[in-house]
Amino acid sequence: MSHLHIPDGVLPGWLVMAGWILTAVILAFSIYRTRKTELKRKIPLIGIISALMIVCMTIPIVPIAYHINLSVIAGIILGPAVAFISIFIVDLIIAMFGHGGITVIGLNTMVVGTEAFIGFYLFQIFMALIGRDSIMWSSGLAAVIALIISTSILVGIIYASQINPEIIIGIEESNPTEATHDAHVPNELIKGVNVKSFAKTLLILLGIGWLLEGIITAFVIKYVSRVRPDLILPQRV
Amino acid sequence: MDVAIIDYYANHGNSFLHKAKAFWKIVFVALLITSIILTNEFYLLLGIYFALVTIAVWTKLPVTKIVTIAAYPAIFALIFAFLVWNGSWIRAGVIIFKALSAALTMVLLIVTTSYPEVFNVIRPIMPRIIAEGLFVTYRSVFILLELTDQLIKGLKVRGGITRRKYIANIKNFSSGIGLLLVRGFDISEKFYGVMNIRGYGGRISYERTNSFITLNDGIALVLGILIFTVVIVTVIRKSLLEFSVYILALSIIALVISSIYKQFST
Repeated sequence: MSHLHIPDGVLPGWLVMAGWILTAVILAFSIYRTRKTELKRKIPLIGIISALMIVCMTIPIVPIAYHINLSVIAGIILGPAVAFISIFIVDLIIAMFGHGGITVIGLNTMVVGTEAFIGFYLFQIFMALIGRDSIMWSSGLAAVIALIISTSILVGIIYASQINPEIIIGIEESNPTEATHDAHVPNELIKGVNVKSFAKTLLILLGIGWLLEGIITAFVIKYVSRVRPDLILPQRV
Repeated sequence: MDVAIIDYYANHGNSFLHKAKAFWKIVFVALLITSIILTNEFYLLLGIYFALVTIAVWTKLPVTKIVTIAAYPAIFALIFAFLVWNGSWIRAGVIIFKALSAALTMVLLIVTTSYPEVFNVIRPIMPRIIAEGLFVTYRSVFILLELTDQLIKGLKVRGGITRRKYIANIKNFSSGIGLLLVRGFDISEKFYGVMNIRGYGGRISYERTNSFITLNDGIALVLGILIFTVVIVTVIRKSLLEFSVYILALSIIALVISSIYKQFST
């Protein structure tokens, strides 16, 4: 749980739609980028990385229900384009378990996909700057920074959800019943959230997660680079 | 996420939802998710949640387990609810029950339908690489689950995960993940080879299902339409929202009767 999976029914419709459109565009671009790679070779690869991400999400790291995502590892190994496709598949499958909303797969894919994208490029940059011997530091740092950025995007989504609520696709002003007279429930459920306190809470809650995922990413990449270096360093799409 | 248990439930159940076609169950899910998103009325949401628990009772599967699986998003919903806290329990309740109801709807679909059936329905609207990636991922999950089980047992038996040695634990655990990754790649390559031998040319073929609506499909559809209609009516005629308490009461009665019936019929 190095990031939050947004549940259904919390965000306004226009933002949910925007997430789907953005994800569709990036997916289309990713598929276009990977067109030169042979499809029948690519699919088992996507399958195994997506499966590994799902399996790792099933292993809770005690005591605070953290789990690792391997999104940065997917980015480093598959490359940003294929990793984005893989993350969309993962988000689609885990949404079926209620782990992240089904309507917000677009936004959740954007958030997690950013980790893979940024993780991949930061890893390449750190490797070039610090040198190839520092594969552990490069991957660990890339993971932590990618997770910080993806969380910032989540905070940005929450902030954006308060903008222009008139566009919301959904019901109009709800008429409180007797039960809700004292507590009016607006259509935009997270309208009025203090973005600062939201960001602070996320920092406290997810900070440990970032660190943990960063360390695990570093050790995993170190292990893979020793056993199968060909998986880490070739050109990725 | 108990992937293996969910898959077992989906393939070994005998309820009306198990027998209904995946397409109509997806329509049922779409109607329910839309209803959950559209309503912000706490008692109505609570009514929908209890109605879903009642349907879970009708699936003849362990209800507590299903509800527990679907309770995972409550963690995230609680965080959201906490962050928008303005002293209103109703507002917090709406956020939590929206997440819980949507998750329970999805879990109901997946514990009564095998993944390949679900993927088969959504395949026409997906790019080929994603549609086939879904099938291969599903297959790979079970291979990796078995490997993970062996890995964790191995780590525990050999002292790889011990109390108070946090750094060593993380290091060993990470190496284990690395091992899974490498073995996963080996499996992927073998899998690719086997698929090639079997004549795989980049396209997986699927079984076509007939499109007739059976009684089981009809029940799922009627339930979905019923809940959707109630929500739409309360959205259009807000004065009817005062009846949402009665809908909640009705759902609870249905749940109690269904639970008692299940208890005596087994």
